[in-house]
Amino acid sequence: MSVIEVENLKYRYPDTTTLVLDDLSFSVEKGECLGIVGENTAGKSTLCYALAGLVPHFYKGAYGGKVTVNGLVVREHEIATIVENIGLVFENPFSQMTGAKQTVYGEVAFGLENMGLPRKNMHTRIEKYLKLLDVYSVKDKNPFDLSGGQMQRVAIASVLAMEPEVLILDEPTSQLDPQGSKDVFKVIEQLTGKGMTIILVEHKMEQIAQYADRVLLLHEGKQIDLDTPEKIFSRLDLKEFGVRPPVVTSIAQALTIRYPDTQLYPVTIQEFKRLEEMK
Amino acid sequence: MNTMTLYVERNSPIHRLDPLVKLLYVAASILLTYILPEPLYIGGILFVTFLLLIIGKVFRNSLPIVTLSMFLIFSLVIVQGFFHPDNVTELFAIGPLVFYEEGLYVALVLVMRVLVMVGAFSLLILTTATDEMVERLIKKGMSPKIGHVILSVLQLIPQMRATMVKITDAQRSRGVETEGDLLTRVKAFFPLIGPVVLNSLNETKERSIALEMRGFDSPMKKTFLNEAKQYPHNKLIAGLITGIVILGIVWRVFG
Ligand SMILES: Nc1ncnc2c1ncn2[C@@H]1O[C@H](COP(=O)(O)OP(=O)(O)O)[C@@H](O)[C@H]1O
Ligand SMILES: [Mg+2]
Repeated sequence: MSVIEVENLKYRYPDTTTLVLDDLSFSVEKGECLGIVGENTAGKSTLCYALAGLVPHFYKGAYGGKVTVNGLVVREHEIATIVENIGLVFENPFSQMTGAKQTVYGEVAFGLENMGLPRKNMHTRIEKYLKLLDVYSVKDKNPFDLSGGQMQRVAIASVLAMEPEVLILDEPTSQLDPQGSKDVFKVIEQLTGKGMTIILVEHKMEQIAQYADRVLLLHEGKQIDLDTPEKIFSRLDLKEFGVRPPVVTSIAQALTIRYPDTQLYPVTIQEFKRLEEMK
Repeated sequence: MNTMTLYVERNSPIHRLDPLVKLLYVAASILLTYILPEPLYIGGILFVTFLLLIIGKVFRNSLPIVTLSMFLIFSLVIVQGFFHPDNVTELFAIGPLVFYEEGLYVALVLVMRVLVMVGAFSLLILTTATDEMVERLIKKGMSPKIGHVILSVLQLIPQMRATMVKITDAQRSRGVETEGDLLTRVKAFFPLIGPVVLNSLNETKERSIALEMRGFDSPMKKTFLNEAKQYPHNKLIAGLITGIVILGIVWRVFG
């Protein structure tokens, strides 16, 4: 069974007239990494909100269709129930530090307290995720004293500690410096390796090509395409949707280096090299 | 250092007090300034409050807050001193300005009362970690929704300060002059107000999303990472404070 099922999802923010999500239907399998791409205002973040229950519980407005996460119909459950099944990390690391706790350790504990996890189970969980995200060494620091990259990893740890089935990352590195981004992507790589179900919204197409099993192309709230990265990035009309393919794909197109069977272009350097040698 | 709270971490007996007891002190001290509105009594309360700030090792940290409220206090003195309707007894005059005893008396009481409020609130905010306070209140049955509001409000000032620094840095890197004489600074400051306020609003919204995503509004019974802290002599101190308020009332009625 699919972990996420979206059926004819339509959504409009309160007091607006245009559909921000316009008839989306897709599903995500367990262990899959789904990339979401599209230009600014395509509706990527709103789709993330709809998966996490913020739409329609936090953002009201007109809602149609059905979203199911881990068997729960999102519309029929409160956010507090949904977050135990799906976690959301977004752009700004600073505003994801709740301010409710004085230490990184407490920050990670916060979600567990709200879930009502017995105290005796907390410490092992917290330590596990602090170590996984490589922020154990700053566990006693005030969250606001960390660097952006560290804060973002604490945010991920705090969400993961609640052990949701799915993790949504909405442009998790767009406000980080290069080193911070690198550290966060290292974690994403580890998580996909462990078989975590991940939804990744990202402007760096190289990263999408690297980690996503499938890519959802959104434009003005509409689902343009949903396919493998090779298929999506080989589309000749990609520019019309404000998306540029990874640099290697552009080069491959210029040099007509492609898979002999499918005629698609490679999206990663490794594949590019392999095909080039074959040629 | 430059963290997002006003809380000052120190090792003092005041820090070890129950946040609720400190909250009670705030209420009691303000109440007493109304029950016994004479300078002598309010002076006593003020003395105790400042003493507690010193014991709490946060007296210095309270000074900026007190100074800020001085502006308010100063305008009170002027208005009351000159224009109080009961003004009859001329006390002294500076040039054409005449100060009356009645007006100054009322002004003095007001000033001292404001000082008590500011002092007592500083005592609470500077010596109490936000999480300890919110946790304690939630355990007492306060709704997490109100916790939401407390967290947002306490975060607002430091958050704006942080945004300001961020934007100033960005301005400077774009070659805008942000330092130098007062005029340059003021010129650099005004265009900041819009972005700082907007950004703060946005961050407040994002933070409430973050709180939602950690299940803060969950109707489930919460658990707590730290065992309930033991507050020694809690009942005794709370009783003492209540007792003093009652004594004040008795004094007022029969004294
Ligand atoms: N809170 C809101 N109220 C009204 N409109 C909104 C709100 N948030 C986003 N929108 C609008 O929804 C559209 C999609 O935004 P968003 O989901 O943030 O896109 P993306 O993440 O792809 O950049 C935009 O046109 C944006 O202006
Ligand atoms: Mg977005």
